[in-house]
Amino acid sequence: MTRVRGLVGADVERLADLPLLTGAARYVADVHRDGEVHARIVRSQVAHARIVGIDTADAEAVPGVLAVITADDLPDVRIPIRLPLADTPRARRVLQPPLARGVVRYVGEPIAVVVATDAYVAEDAAELVDVDLDDLDVVAEVATAADPGMPVLHPDLGDNIVSSYPLHHGDVDAAFARADVVVRERLRMHRHTAVPMETRGAIAEVDPATGRLTLWGGAKVKHAVRAALGEMLSMEPADIRIVEVNVGGGFGVRGEAYPEDYLVAFLALRLRRPVKWIEDRTEHFVATNHAREQEHELEIAATADGRLLAFRDRAWCDQGAYARSQGTLPELLPALHLPGPYRWEAFALETTGVLTNRTPVGTYRGPGMTEAAFVRERLLDVLAGRLGLDPAELRRRNLIRDDDLPFTWSLGAGSAPVPPISYQSGAFCSSFETLLERAGYDELRREAATRSGDTISVGVGVATYVEVGAMGPFEDARIAPAADGSFVVHVGVASLGQGVETVLAQIAGDELGVPMDRLRVDHHDTDAVPMGFGAFASRSTPVAGNAVLLAARDLRTKAAKLLGAEPDDVEFRDGHVHGPGGASCPVQDVGEGRGRFDKPHPTFSFGAALSVVEVERDTGRVRVVRHVVVHDVGRAVNPALVRGQLAGAASQGIGAALLEELSYDERAQPMATTLGDYRLPSAGELPDIEVIVLEHPAPGNPLGAKGAGESGMVGTPAAVANAVADALGATGPQVTTLPLTADRVRALLREAT
Amino acid sequence: MTWIGEDDSAAVDVVVNGRPTAMRVPARRTLADALRDDGLTGTHLGCEHGVCGACTVLLDGRPVRSCLTLAVQAEGADVETVEGMAEGPELHVLQRAFHENGALQCGFCTPGFLMLALGLLRAEPEAPPERVREVLTSNLCRCTGGGPIVQAVLAAQRELAGDVA
Repeated sequence: MTRVRGLVGADVERLADLPLLTGAARYVADVHRDGEVHARIVRSQVAHARIVGIDTADAEAVPGVLAVITADDLPDVRIPIRLPLADTPRARRVLQPPLARGVVRYVGEPIAVVVATDAYVAEDAAELVDVDLDDLDVVAEVATAADPGMPVLHPDLGDNIVSSYPLHHGDVDAAFARADVVVRERLRMHRHTAVPMETRGAIAEVDPATGRLTLWGGAKVKHAVRAALGEMLSMEPADIRIVEVNVGGGFGVRGEAYPEDYLVAFLALRLRRPVKWIEDRTEHFVATNHAREQEHELEIAATADGRLLAFRDRAWCDQGAYARSQGTLPELLPALHLPGPYRWEAFALETTGVLTNRTPVGTYRGPGMTEAAFVRERLLDVLAGRLGLDPAELRRRNLIRDDDLPFTWSLGAGSAPVPPISYQSGAFCSSFETLLERAGYDELRREAATRSGDTISVGVGVATYVEVGAMGPFEDARIAPAADGSFVVHVGVASLGQGVETVLAQIAGDELGVPMDRLRVDHHDTDAVPMGFGAFASRSTPVAGNAVLLAARDLRTKAAKLLGAEPDDVEFRDGHVHGPGGASCPVQDVGEGRGRFDKPHPTFSFGAALSVVEVERDTGRVRVVRHVVVHDVGRAVNPALVRGQLAGAASQGIGAALLEELSYDERAQPMATTLGDYRLPSAGELPDIEVIVLEHPAPGNPLGAKGAGESGMVGTPAAVANAVADALGATGPQVTTLPLTADRVRALLREAT
Repeated sequence: MTWIGEDDSAAVDVVVNGRPTAMRVPARRTLADALRDDGLTGTHLGCEHGVCGACTVLLDGRPVRSCLTLAVQAEGADVETVEGMAEGPELHVLQRAFHENGALQCGFCTPGFLMLALGLLRAEPEAPPERVREVLTSNLCRCTGGGPIVQAVLAAQRELAGDVA
């Protein structure tokens, strides 16, 4: 008997498109509960101030207003850190209260909540809450935040340092002493963030009979949010249900436990009515996690013939005003990614998380790795210029060789405890060569030289990276057969638009030998799926996907045992399971298939980006005319969806490199609070992204999959920056910060002449 | 002239997706909120200041930002939303083309892009590719970057042209 195979590896159509195309999909703003009322958050307009008094009387007097609450109405609780590896004693001392207690520390910090029967009325009344603030000096820059004499955001911490991650490998001083060339720069990645098209939102309701709380609007890490709310509300997590409806993009920022999740839950418990909050876009720009801002003092030592010896890096990574649910990830992740895919004899780095009076920082697609790739790859191009070497050739000479894998960095005394930085599989050199060949690198270089003239300069840039993904600790899956011959896959993932339900159904269908229309993936509700770690660190396919595969194998094995057959010889068809020789039984007699996939260590995967830009010399305007990304995904379950993920991430990376910036003035006032100020790239600013998907299967997981959802981002800002620098000339002023807006590029062009 | 207060309700007669509809809405209610309150939640609000285009609907055939249009401005007009695109179970050519060209991921911007493209292809069925791309830059898609959306609209345009021929 042959099994229907071939779903894994095929461009299967996305399962969830129909409601999205017809307007029938239900996002959190579309959820209505009987008797619902609307919350509006009163937020700080200043970056740092003592709260002298809050007068809520005028707001409370507005017809339709049901309640106005401040921190005095709440227990003294903080949003906890989700990941043990990012949880430190110091980070715990700077966690955020849901409403400011005594002091506001960033523009946008919640101070009070107004609840009214109508959202328009709630917004009007919120304007009437009078907050008396006594201004304090601000910390508005990452580079000086930890300096002596700066205002201290959280006095009992003593300074503005959250934590530091030093990592050492080899004898750095000896390597620098041997160097023919040393290059150093201060490089800065700017503040920007995900900006999904749907803002956040939540609606909370208490069942009057049972006291159970339901929160709609979950995403990403529903079970962790359930645990956080349980802790903060003093409720058993089992009495809390988090429901995910359609989600309009996540990219790392949506679905963590935020102040507003707690506030709507608290208010629903207090008012005994469903409470709804939908973030508006201006709130989103100050309330939802920011990302990326870091400054690095990086130096690289090399030989005259272009062999990399060692690097030293000292980095300051912005945490904003509080550590949120992601704890110390803003400084931990760049530390893990600075060495990248090169054969360093030695390195010494230290990344330090610092507090500033700005919106707290979390993870955005490719967190830490995108920043690390930018500073390292940018300085490598500076080095290539100094050596008179082609930038691709410099990388070619120094990438970890294909037969050196697996490869693990040994970390010396004084290094922080971090997960092993271990590259288990892949082919860095040949993958990079594939990119250069398919893009026609040598020809692109010749064309750039001939096309550059007085009005336009053409540049080519490359960047390589390794990316951590497939983080554990584990994922459970359960496959339940139904009487009609269909199967429901229960698994604790989150669908943020990436197509995960399609991919997981493919994996189950492939193993069970049943077609896609017989499969449904249930992941929406913490009541239906008892445990799950969610959608972050490009983990859904490699971790949950393997759990689904194991559950499907378990179901097949159980069915075979029941029929006295071999697992490979049973067939699921028409609500029955059939064995050789006509034996069969209803599929429901088999019970459920269960699988658990443990992932004690994350997987690192390799990728690279190549960008070709045109710089208008008169205006400084940069246009990306070609952009190619390559990534080793281990195994592409659905190549079309993988390509879509890589291209979408690269598009965001081009936006980051050229347009997007969350800038602040010297009083730490945000300058970008609308989509007019914060420029997202449109189809007019983006080329059609070219994607190369490589498959070097990961050992130790049956699917062989690695992460893919973030990869197109990681090398993109670096490649674009290198291309612009190339267009401006290797000996000219250096590109050391992003975004490369027309203003900045004009300034660089003026400097050059 | 009579003045009405911001929360006084006003009667608005519109035709929504071919169905005559009598709305009573507060004078300051946006068209987007009025449609959504009427159950047509396919019209999405991404920024409420007219930049992202997720709320695009057709007003007398022209794409408009329904977040910047008051419901009372639609008095006597023909309003088309994404819910009116498919003919029963039969998807519109544009909807199919979006599905087939990877033009949606999270789907939040999709209704706005569909209405923008529908308005364009009706008004300018022979719009050249540069014009199609230019018009589609009025809306934002964070998941795909927008390139696949341009490809989808061009594919739908070819199909529609073929049907006419």
